[in-house]
Amino acid sequence: MSAGFVNSMLSVMRKELRDIGRDRRTLALALLMGPLLYPLMLLGISSLGEMRAKTQLESELELPVIGAERAPNLMAFLASQRIRAVDPPADVAAAIASQEVDVVLEVSETFDADWRAGRPASVVLVSDDTRRNARVPAGRVRGALQAYAGQVASLRLVARGIDPSIARPLGVGSRNLASEEATRGMVLSMILPYLLILSSFLGGAYLILDATAGERERQSLEPLLATPAARGAIVSGKMMAACALGLFALLLTLLAFKLTAQLAESARMLDVSFAAMARMLLVLLPMLFIGTALLSLLAASAKSMKEAQSHMVWLMLLPMVPAFILMVNPVRAEMWQFTVPFLAQNQMLLKVIRAEPIDPATWAVYLGAALALALALWLGAVGRYRQEKLAVSA
Amino acid sequence: MIQAHQLHKAFKTRTGTIKAVDGVDFRADDGRITGLLGPNGAGKTTALRMLYTLMKPDSGRITVDGIDAAADPAGVRRILGVLPDARGVYKRLTARENIAYFGELHGLSRATIASRVEALATQLDMHDILDRRTEGFSQGQRTKTAIARALVHDPRNVILDEPTNGLDVMTTRAMREFLLKLRDQGRCVIFSSHIMQEVAALCDRIVIISRGQVVAAGSADELRARFNETNLEDAFVRAIGSEEGLHA
Repeated sequence: MSAGFVNSMLSVMRKELRDIGRDRRTLALALLMGPLLYPLMLLGISSLGEMRAKTQLESELELPVIGAERAPNLMAFLASQRIRAVDPPADVAAAIASQEVDVVLEVSETFDADWRAGRPASVVLVSDDTRRNARVPAGRVRGALQAYAGQVASLRLVARGIDPSIARPLGVGSRNLASEEATRGMVLSMILPYLLILSSFLGGAYLILDATAGERERQSLEPLLATPAARGAIVSGKMMAACALGLFALLLTLLAFKLTAQLAESARMLDVSFAAMARMLLVLLPMLFIGTALLSLLAASAKSMKEAQSHMVWLMLLPMVPAFILMVNPVRAEMWQFTVPFLAQNQMLLKVIRAEPIDPATWAVYLGAALALALALWLGAVGRYRQEKLAVSA
Repeated sequence: MIQAHQLHKAFKTRTGTIKAVDGVDFRADDGRITGLLGPNGAGKTTALRMLYTLMKPDSGRITVDGIDAAADPAGVRRILGVLPDARGVYKRLTARENIAYFGELHGLSRATIASRVEALATQLDMHDILDRRTEGFSQGQRTKTAIARALVHDPRNVILDEPTNGLDVMTTRAMREFLLKLRDQGRCVIFSSHIMQEVAALCDRIVIISRGQVVAAGSADELRARFNETNLEDAFVRAIGSEEGLHA
C-alpha cells in the first residue's frame, strides 16, 4: 500500500465523517438509538419478569378451593405456606379461561371418608398449563400438597412403629451446576446477543449507504472517480468511516449497558466488568467489518438508494437466524460453530455473558474465520467499485 | 494535448447493442479550445468519459500529453481537470471544503490547496460563497464550485461536459471568459455542447459528432466554407445530415 493510497483513504474517511458529523439528526439517531433504547428495553423486560416472579413466589396466594370445609387440616397447612383458601368462582372452567383465576383446587366429595379409611384422598389441581402466568402458582400449590402428603405419610408410619425412611428407597436430591452467573444471564442470553450483533452488523449502515448509493444518486460519484485517487482507497476510506462510526456507537451501547446495569437493581443479571465489555467488543468488531463490507458491496451493486435501503429488511433478520435455530434445536458448542457468521458471534457472546472461559484456540478460530469473511467482502466491494457501471449514474 | 484514435464503445441493453461511440478520432492542442458539438445522444458524453478514463474504450487509443490512458489511467487523471456531466457537490460541506477535498485526493499539500482555492475563487468570482455550505446554492454557484474543484490541481488539460448547461446569461458569459482565460494560459481545453452559438463564439476547432462518429472537424470558418453555408447552424445541419436534435 503506497503512501498515496493511504492518504487518499484517510482523506475520504475524514470527509465522510465530517459530512455525517454535520447531519446532526441522523448522527444522533445512529449514535444514540442503540445506547439509549437497547439497555432500557433490556432492563425493562428483565425487571418486569423479575417483579412478576417475586410477587408470585413471595406474596400470599389466594387459592379458590371447592369443598374447603371437607379438609380443614389441609387448609390450615396451606395457610402456613401462605396459601389462603378462598371461595371458588361459580363456573371454574370459565373463570380459568378468562384468567380471572389461575389455579383452582378441588377437594373430592369423599375426601373425609377416604382420609379416615387410609385410602388416597383425592384433590384435583385445575389450571391451564399453557398460560405462563399460571405456572408459578400451580407449582407452588403442587409443592405444598406434596409437602403435606409427605409429612402425613411419615407421621402415619411413625404411628405404626415403622421408620419412615423405609418408604423412601431412593433419596433423590439435585444439584444445579449452572454457575450463578449463568443463571443470572438466562433472560439476557436470548436477547442481548441479538441486539449487540445487530447494532454492530448495521452500525455503519446509514453512512455507507449514503456514501455509496447516495453519493451516486447525488451525482458526485463521477467527479470523485475522475480524481487520481485509487478506487480501492476511495471505497476503503468510506468503509473505514462507517466502521469508525459503528465502533463509536458500539462503545456507547456497551457503556450504556454498564451504567444502567450498575444503577438498576438488575445489575446482578449482567457481567458488566470492563474485562467482559472488552471481550464483547473484540467479538463484535469483526461483525462490524463484515456488516460494513457487505453493505458497501450491496449498495455499490444497487441501482438506487431506495434499492440499497430495501436490503435492510433481510439484513436485520439475518442475525436472528442462529438465535431461532438455537431456541428450537439447542446444539452443543463445537468448534465449527465458531466459523459460521452470526452463530459464532452468538456463541461467543453467550460465553462472555455467562462468564465462561474462552480458550485461545476458540478465539483464533473465531477471529480467523470472521476476519477472513470480512476481507473477502471488502475485496468484493473494491471489485465492485472498479467496475465501469458503478460510476455512470442513471 | 489530448489525442483520440478510433474510439469505439458499445453498450448492451435489453433491446440490443447500442454503439454509443463508433470510431471517434480527434486531436485537441494546447492553447486551443476544442469543442465537441453534436445533438443529444450523439455520444459526446461517452467519448469524454473515455477521455477521463471513467470508461474503457472497446477499441482505440487515447493519449494525454503522451500518456496512454489504458496503460496509466491514474497518471492521465492526474494531469486532467474534469467537469463531468454529473457535477454534484457535497451539500453539507462549504464550497472551500468541497474544493479542498479534491485537492487532497490529488495529493496536494495544505498550503498549495489554500493558494489554489484563493486563485480559483478570484478567477471564478466566488469569494462571497466560498465559506458557505453548498446546500441552497444556485445552479451557477454549484457549477462554479464544481469547476474550481476540477481545476484545483492546476491541470494542463481541461475537459468540460456541457459547462454552461442550466446557467443564466450572465453566468454563461462569465464562464466563456473563464474558458478563454484557460486557453490563454496555454491549456488544452475540450468542452462539449449542443449549443451552436457557444461553440462558434469560443472554439478554435470544432469537432462535430453524430451517431457516435466524427462527421466533420475544423474551425468555424472552415466548416462554413466546407458546407457552403454562411451560417454555422446550417453547416451543422448539413454535417449531421438531418435536423435531429436541434430543437431538443
